[in-house]
Amino acid sequence: MPADQRPPGWREAALLLAGAAYALGAAATSAFTWPADIVTAIPIVVLAVLVVVRWPRRPLPLPLPEPGPGSVSLEAGLAHRGRHPFRAWVVLFAAVAVWELAGYLARGSRGAHPTLSSMTDALDRFHALKALVFFGWLCLGAWIVRRGMRAFPAAAGPVGPVGPHDLPGPTEVR
Amino acid sequence: MNAAVSYAVWAVLGAGALGLWAWSRSSGATLARPAEVVERLATGPLLRIGLVLGWMWVGWHLFAR
Repeated sequence: MPADQRPPGWREAALLLAGAAYALGAAATSAFTWPADIVTAIPIVVLAVLVVVRWPRRPLPLPLPEPGPGSVSLEAGLAHRGRHPFRAWVVLFAAVAVWELAGYLARGSRGAHPTLSSMTDALDRFHALKALVFFGWLCLGAWIVRRGMRAFPAAAGPVGPVGPHDLPGPTEVR
Repeated sequence: MNAAVSYAVWAVLGAGALGLWAWSRSSGATLARPAEVVERLATGPLLRIGLVLGWMWVGWHLFAR
């Protein structure tokens, strides 16, 4: 079937289906084995290639939507509001990192001091749950690649896949 | 400190993440949405390297080694 005759969203649906099937297969492997290494390394290599090929070499600042018409740059938005829109997230991530480190360094059994990885390990006994976690990891990787491709402010043109060759010259970069 | 306290803290952190997500979705929120957080990281010259390496490490740590 020609590409222009396929229903909209077929590509995303096919990728999701392929990712789900891959995650189901990957969940059947056991950690610390060659099969597990290989099925984990393949998405890592694919993402590395996509990042090199699809991400712009010189990313531009992210525009932050403001209430009202138009949008302003992230920095201007911060000054306008007088508050950091990422601060609460940074605090949360810092708290998670501190608690993860505390659990990792604490004396005693891992059961008494669970870490994120030990809690995830507990899911490994359930094939469907492990597949779900693996699928989530794949989706997160795809999301990261897509977000990194959006390198231009909305006002400067259409937002979407942008390759390194579509970038303006050095003098045009803010 | 026993396991119950550890799990309780993890639960609070998880609830905090959900709360921030819900707050960021509300109208007039001053908090960035998760997609904007990821986009900010993915478009930072150095941050994006850390983001990609972090994703790679998480996958390798959880599923391979």
